[in-house]
Amino acid sequence: MSTKSLSLSATATAKYGFLIVSVLITIFPFVWVAMMGSHTRAEIFSAPPPFYFGDDILNNYQRLLEIMPFWLVLWNSLTVATLGTIGAVFFCSLCAYGFFAFEFRGKNIVFGLMVASMMVPPVLMLIPFFLTVKFLGLLDTHFAIWFPGVANAFGIFLVRQYMVSSISKELLDAAKIDGCSHFRIFWSVVMPLIKPAMATVGIVMFIGLWNNFLSPLIVLSSPDKYVLTLALRSVQSFANTPWGAVMLGTFLSMLPLLIAFLFFSRQMMAGLTAGAVKG
Amino acid sequence: MSSLDLLGISKSFGATEVLKNIDIHVSEGEFIALVGPSGCGKSTLLRLISGLDEPTSGDVVLGQHVVNDLTPRERNVAMVFQSYALYPHMNVAENIGFNLRISGVPKAEINQRVADTAAILDLTELLTRKPSQLSGGQRQRVAMGRALVRNPSLFLFDEPLSNLDAKLRVQMREEIKRLHAKVRTTSIYVTHDQIEAMTLADRIVILNEGIIQQVGTPKELYTKPANPFVAGFIGSPSMNLLEGKLTQSGDTIQIELDGGVTLPCPQTAPQSASGRVIIGMRPEHLHLGEAAAGAINITGRLDHVEPTGAQNHLKVKFGKNTITATDNTLQDLASNAEVTLSLPTDKLHIFAN
Repeated sequence: MSTKSLSLSATATAKYGFLIVSVLITIFPFVWVAMMGSHTRAEIFSAPPPFYFGDDILNNYQRLLEIMPFWLVLWNSLTVATLGTIGAVFFCSLCAYGFFAFEFRGKNIVFGLMVASMMVPPVLMLIPFFLTVKFLGLLDTHFAIWFPGVANAFGIFLVRQYMVSSISKELLDAAKIDGCSHFRIFWSVVMPLIKPAMATVGIVMFIGLWNNFLSPLIVLSSPDKYVLTLALRSVQSFANTPWGAVMLGTFLSMLPLLIAFLFFSRQMMAGLTAGAVKG
Repeated sequence: MSSLDLLGISKSFGATEVLKNIDIHVSEGEFIALVGPSGCGKSTLLRLISGLDEPTSGDVVLGQHVVNDLTPRERNVAMVFQSYALYPHMNVAENIGFNLRISGVPKAEINQRVADTAAILDLTELLTRKPSQLSGGQRQRVAMGRALVRNPSLFLFDEPLSNLDAKLRVQMREEIKRLHAKVRTTSIYVTHDQIEAMTLADRIVILNEGIIQQVGTPKELYTKPANPFVAGFIGSPSMNLLEGKLTQSGDTIQIELDGGVTLPCPQTAPQSASGRVIIGMRPEHLHLGEAAAGAINITGRLDHVEPTGAQNHLKVKFGKNTITATDNTLQDLASNAEVTLSLPTDKLHIFAN
């Protein structure tokens, strides 16, 4: 074997080694949580901790249902994440279309301000958010969790950039000549062409809403309105926290995300890389 | 089908005036070409006619009605775009039938009209294909089908052939001509290609810097250009334009070209031409050979020859000027050889400078 092919195979080995280690690091917490969900609290805290699947999964499941209305909470999370995602995909796309298709005074300034707003740390907005929600009488409602994000700067920016790179203005003109109203142009011509960007916004929003902890923490107070993040956190204050049940609940709460990613990962990648390489 | 009148149309973008006081009358069924160099405002004018943009001042009159405030749909105009602007997610049939669907035409009628249009344009086999699966010429035909299916009162073409290769362009040009002869819809055709304009249009409007330079039939523009711009724009190779002045000695009027060469001025010189002038000579009217009696004879040295196959373009230097002449006899001429070109006096164009 020549020196060149030896060095090539060494490079390939190093590359695959790095990727395998990265994958293991990424999936370790998921596997670990799944394993912990099948053990008793005592087993979890034994030394060394068990790194295999136990046989206490049914007990943990029963315990989970005792400490929280798990399926109701899961439903709440699904409702919040789904409504927020649908709303965000629709309104971000609509708003992005406005920035893409219309010329109006101050357009660039408004767009710049909107993009700049992404730099503001979300924690800084917590108190104004709480005061606004309280002022509007929306405390302890799911609406207050999903609605504020339906027109967010990230989604608008992403979709608008995608439109700029993939839709020609002549297409909009052709639709106008064909007799479309602006909404019809958006609905029949633009929306089918921005599916990858919409999928990206959708999955990012779904993950964001699913994992959202801070907003539910300051908005929700009734346990029957809790979402998963809040419910799982609330049981940890119990003395003698049933960690097996909590881990099982945590693992079950990850499943919808994993399934969603499985279905939309291709579109998501397409949306994120659109325009990066000239086709 | 309707007539079209543009009455005092002007269009400005900020401080830039793109179109200045445009007046054009287009009769019913007429095919008009708007020609001019890039940036002369021809596409802007088409957008104003279509309703995609609004004029800063002036009226667009379709038939008997001022349509300034009407949408493109209400004007019932159809437009074929340079990039075809086909909807990529729809197949050919959906693309052609889209405007009928928007208008709420019953599905059965849409299918019928799409099928009829496809038959005219030889697209029947392609109806289920997406635009990405079509060649340039096929896409172009779909774009025309989309315009044709709605039976518009006005057809607007915005450089529809400029994305096609030379051979396909000729083929599609013939197709457009055949189609217009068949449907006789009033058509406005924007192009920067004078050959396209000359071959397709009943009349041509030449625009430069937002101003109409001349309106006329292809023959009028070729034989009687109104100014040096039109003279230089129409014809290939371009007309030779040389600056000079008219001088009189006794009864004889002469043209003293910048660079010291003097040519006899024909009796047909316009009365208005006096003092500084620009003279024009079409390369195809300059004949290579012996000096001819009663013609303007120019003797110069051959700079170089540009062969094009059917004819040679001779670049001839005389005085400080270089002019182009066409040679259909394809003679082998040595570089720097002395050549004599003769021009019939009635083929000399004189413009006031």
